[in-house]
Amino acid sequence: MDIYPIVFHFFAALVTISALGVVLMPSPIYSALCLALTMLFLSGLFFILDAQFLAAVQLMVYAGAVVVLFVMVLMLFDLRNENQPFSGNWRVNLSKLGVIALGFILIALPCTYLMKASNSEWLQSRGLETKKLAELLFSKHIFAFEVVGALLTVVLIGAIALAKAKGGTHARTE
Amino acid sequence: MLELSNITLGHFILLSCVLFTIGMVGVLVRRNVIVILMSIELMLNAVNLAFVAFSRHHNLADGQVIVFFVMAIAAAEAAIGLAIAISVFRKFNGVEIRLFENLKG
Repeated sequence: MDIYPIVFHFFAALVTISALGVVLMPSPIYSALCLALTMLFLSGLFFILDAQFLAAVQLMVYAGAVVVLFVMVLMLFDLRNENQPFSGNWRVNLSKLGVIALGFILIALPCTYLMKASNSEWLQSRGLETKKLAELLFSKHIFAFEVVGALLTVVLIGAIALAKAKGGTHARTE
Repeated sequence: MLELSNITLGHFILLSCVLFTIGMVGVLVRRNVIVILMSIELMLNAVNLAFVAFSRHHNLADGQVIVFFVMAIAAAEAAIGLAIAISVFRKFNGVEIRLFENLKG
């Protein structure tokens, strides 16, 4: 009896429920909390895929930084009176959902084929070490790494330039 | 159809598909810009899950390196998106997506 199926189905169900919560919750602050839960359970899935480093980074960057940023900006706005969370009328939304469902079926059908074709021995085998990831990151992908560093600097300056104004968020417009 | 006791690559890819679809529904039907940004994060995470599953299946670390970059890009995108949301809120006193129609150079 191995533990992977139980853990996978547990985390998969929780990820799906909390992701649905992000989309369906009428209040954005509950959406943000559901997003934090989604990131938490996804890092659990990364753990069973033997990607421990990425699971830790997922927790730190997403649950720790990105979601906190979302919550902070939501607190900055005063969004008490959100009376219509979903856009358009129900007919437009239904047609959007129909198109998305069609696309989902087209992609999900090969997945069910994959389920039958492949076996589960790959999960039991020894996974990649974090050392391997570090070696690749600083040898083969060093250029992309440096470019991402430059991009983050640009984003830092850009975000300050975009959000900066005299008087903060509630500046009076004359 | 669904094998419950045997976790294959297909299970992870199907979960990633479901997550991506939920994120896309969120982008298309919500009005609040912040919730739309959260749904984009969901879609990026679905892609991350697919990358990690494939990387584990083929025993290649390159997929995980790309996930690392995707996380950095996602954080950058959230920061810029929220900065734009703040400046739109300052101008129109709301963060609905239809307010973006009024923007011009």
